[in-house]
Amino acid sequence: MTITWLAGLLRRRTGRLAATAVGISLAVALIAALGTFLTTSKATMTARAVHSVAVDWQVQVQPGADPAAVLNTVTKTAGVTAAERVSMAATTGLSSTVGGTTQSTGPGVVLGLTPTYRHTFPGEIRQLSGSPTGVLLAQQTAANLHVRPGDTVSIGRAGSAPVVVIVAGVVDLPQADSLFQKVGAPPKSQPSAPPDNVILLPQATFDTVMSHASTAAAPAPTTQIHVVRGAPLSSDPAAAYESVIGAAHNLEAQLAGAGVVGNDLGAALEGARSDAIYAQMLFLFLGLPGAVLAALLTAALASAGADRRRAEQALLRTRGLAPRKVARLAVVEALLVGTVGGVLGLGIGAAAGRLAFGPSPAGSSASTTLIWAAIAFVAGLAIATLTVLVPALRDLRTRTVAQSRHAVGRPHTPWWMKSGVDFMLIAGALFVFWASSSNNYSLVLAPEGVATISVSYWAFLGPALLWLGAAMLLWRIVDLALKHGRRPLARLIAPLTGRLAQTGASSMSRQRRPLARALVLVALAISFAASTATFNATYQQQAEADAQLSNGADVTVTESPGLRVAPAAGAGMQSVAGVRHVEPVQHRFAYVGADLQDLYGVRPASITSATALQDAYFTGGTAKALMAKLAAQPDAILVSDETVKDFQLAPGDLINLRLQDSRTKKLQTVPFHYAGIVKEFPTAPKDSFFVANADYITKVTGSNAVGAFLIDTGGTNQSSVAADLQRRLGAAATVTNVTEARSQVGSSLTSVNLAGLTRLELVFAVLLAASAGGIVLAVGLAERRRSLAILSVLGARRRQLRGLALSEGLLITVGGLIGGGLIAWGLSQMLIKVLTGVFDPPPSVIAIPWGYLTITVLTVVSALGTAAMVSARASTRPAVEELRDL
Amino acid sequence: MNHIENLVVCTDASRTFGSGLSAVVAVQGTTAQVVPGARIAIAGPSGSGKSTLLHLMAGLELPTRGQVTWPSFSTDAAERTQDIGVVFQSPSLVPALDVAENTALPLILAGVDEQECRARVAEALERVGVSDLAGKLPEELSGGQAQRVAVARVLAQRPRLILADEPTGQLDHATGQHLIDVLLATTAQIGAALVVTTHDRTVLERLDTHWSMHEGRLLTAATQGVLS
Repeated sequence: MTITWLAGLLRRRTGRLAATAVGISLAVALIAALGTFLTTSKATMTARAVHSVAVDWQVQVQPGADPAAVLNTVTKTAGVTAAERVSMAATTGLSSTVGGTTQSTGPGVVLGLTPTYRHTFPGEIRQLSGSPTGVLLAQQTAANLHVRPGDTVSIGRAGSAPVVVIVAGVVDLPQADSLFQKVGAPPKSQPSAPPDNVILLPQATFDTVMSHASTAAAPAPTTQIHVVRGAPLSSDPAAAYESVIGAAHNLEAQLAGAGVVGNDLGAALEGARSDAIYAQMLFLFLGLPGAVLAALLTAALASAGADRRRAEQALLRTRGLAPRKVARLAVVEALLVGTVGGVLGLGIGAAAGRLAFGPSPAGSSASTTLIWAAIAFVAGLAIATLTVLVPALRDLRTRTVAQSRHAVGRPHTPWWMKSGVDFMLIAGALFVFWASSSNNYSLVLAPEGVATISVSYWAFLGPALLWLGAAMLLWRIVDLALKHGRRPLARLIAPLTGRLAQTGASSMSRQRRPLARALVLVALAISFAASTATFNATYQQQAEADAQLSNGADVTVTESPGLRVAPAAGAGMQSVAGVRHVEPVQHRFAYVGADLQDLYGVRPASITSATALQDAYFTGGTAKALMAKLAAQPDAILVSDETVKDFQLAPGDLINLRLQDSRTKKLQTVPFHYAGIVKEFPTAPKDSFFVANADYITKVTGSNAVGAFLIDTGGTNQSSVAADLQRRLGAAATVTNVTEARSQVGSSLTSVNLAGLTRLELVFAVLLAASAGGIVLAVGLAERRRSLAILSVLGARRRQLRGLALSEGLLITVGGLIGGGLIAWGLSQMLIKVLTGVFDPPPSVIAIPWGYLTITVLTVVSALGTAAMVSARASTRPAVEELRDL
Repeated sequence: MNHIENLVVCTDASRTFGSGLSAVVAVQGTTAQVVPGARIAIAGPSGSGKSTLLHLMAGLELPTRGQVTWPSFSTDAAERTQDIGVVFQSPSLVPALDVAENTALPLILAGVDEQECRARVAEALERVGVSDLAGKLPEELSGGQAQRVAVARVLAQRPRLILADEPTGQLDHATGQHLIDVLLATTAQIGAALVVTTHDRTVLERLDTHWSMHEGRLLTAATQGVLS
């Protein structure tokens, strides 16, 4: 019996089974692909965090401890692959005489490195010019001293005569911040910037040069042991962080006070672990709704054939088949569509993953893929159970045979509509949103040094409730409109249906439940597609803004602090091919009270020709308004929020800053007036700083020296323009471009293949939207073939039948697009607010991807149009054949 | 002699379903005509081809051999259906429309104005005794009630040819007789021809002409004639 039934189903109900299996396959594919993405991106984050540090641990040998003993202990520690000794000492200053002039620097740091150090830690030192061995000078120091390889430099020593050395090469120290960190000090007491003047000596030279320290009244050199670890780490950043922190604590315990571990690897993993949680959030926010949508789509497809299934069940029961056996047939059907959909979905998921993330995503492994494939497959079976088996079993239990044979009943108001669940859900969404985002809201809280991460999962509830509530409200509106709006509906569809307009309206009114379900499904799919796309577009916009903020502009030329470059130097840069605008920006330091902050002097009228200033960077006015204020009132100044709070400032208040006068080299008090708050500014640090009018700073300090030139290239050829400029300017200036900044400044979240995730989600969203509209309408109309056949027998023309099918398609399309658009708008606003931690800087304007939205709308319209046309065409089969078939 | 134009002419018409070894010949080489005012009963065992012949006459099936023509009706298939009313053996009401709306369908399709449409629907429902069911949906009707509504729909249409496929099959004897009365009275009133397939001897007796079918062949049409 079961085999016969199965064979019959496959032969006679192929369309219904195939449509249900397709719905399941979409859910399975989405879960499998996104799950694999989640795991692989976590592994990528861990791998990138590990690779991002040049030195895993910096063990600071404590005063009085024996460096050799500490090195010995460290080397023997489990998981340590290599360890090298690094000596550090202070110099009173460096000087050189080149071309008849003598340049001197302020205090600096002397490093002593073993001969094998650069081989063991290749990422710590980057060769710029000269020989890789011998005395090396940091690039900025070389620029300050105007020296090149082969020149001599004098190293100042406290309490002793300077020592002269010959410079062999010039190097860059890409990880100077961590190299010169104060090991063991809390983050707030770390130096704000690495030392400007650094000279690197071979260990033997260092020992000779600094031998005076044991006798003279000079601070003794310190020793660090730099460590490379080789212990295998978990692919999950959080687990890897915990194991690295634990290992560091273990080493400190072994050293028994002789050394303190500066855990660079731990710090890198600490950042990655919160990014991993954000990736998980993205999976939940963007992936899960897709899977839910695919499940709803499957439910809609399965229920489109439910009337006929009920009738078939009723027939079986009247023929004497026991309910238990009827239930077994339902189980067989659910298993069949679940398995076929699951297998199909795994295939689609693998293909989609390959398209989105490439052939073998970093960090992916066969076991990861298998685990997610299994999870997705089980989810597919669960969806089949919920959408095919459960309704069938419920019908068996609750319906009489007579009831089951009925096709169209009078639609009753569902319980949720009577009790206003939709309104409750929307109110709940707004409440959760208000509660979770009102005060010091943070979706992910990963305190430094604390192993646990807290995630505000409550925040998910807002968008989730809004999505569901708005969909149910849309259902209610469509239900009411179709119930009470037959006349206007008839007028609307009259151009398509002609004389059958009133009949069509009546039919649509009575079929309002499946129509509302299809329309809401389209709206949900469109809102999913649109809000996902809007979120992704805004994310891309802000990532670009972040890169622009960090780099300053398309290309930025940063002058060495020791040099005084006038704005006129920009004219030379202007002649480089590809440069559209060159904007000089001053960079000084100013004391406000005892606090030293960066001060940026800008030309308010032209700064925006070189870089974008978003309104979100400021408080107290738009970017345009505040720049106009700086232009109109030269002593106006923009300050940080923190400064406003610390000094209780009100707009217009006088702020006295102490700035160095270039003529006297002394600090002098300069009056400014507080004009607004600046939170972010191109090239500025993340903490407190000032922005003021460059002409005013020039006037009061007697110097127009430029700190950096911001260069606009029109968003193209940044790398080649930067290379040209670097060739022209030599080692005297640092030229950076936004392309490098994108890869350097982005969190590990941006560094994972978010573009692939975006592509994947957007393709699925379009597929879901098209399926929701097209397949649901087609299946629904197929179930109404009998009605169309009867109309045909009674004399309805092909045009009228097509008009009836198109009317339904049109209602679903227009209603779905409008409803989906509105839900998407609300959802995007909420999503971006809730996921605000993902954006850096926070967006002032949401980016709307019009191109993608147009493609989505066109795809949905085409799918619905095609479904309606195909159904109308099918209805022109000889009517008796149709009536006999059904 | 007055020339009477046939409503339907079947000339050596055959209808075969499927092909090859599994082919089933439902109607074979049938030649028959139906003239205005004819009252024909087609009898025969199940599977003898009665319904298929009726469908061929209605233009719902196309003959695989021979031809079926409608000399008195429009050559446009959709327009022709306004002159031919069909009562199916199986339920043929649109599930999403109520009884009144179902009954009004052919009138709406024919462009009958709303007021007249309403009057004709009310009259037709009254005739078959289901006026009180006007607002009901098909699923709220019994099989017999649904069949009476299907008949009412044909009566409201006022066609020139009524083809009824076992119209009393789902009705009790008294209701069946009443329905036949109504059909006969209406056809007489509007001058329509009536062709009924039936197993019911009492129905056969009420009709003037009897055709018999066996294994797809019309046995008695030529001998008994077709005119009333």
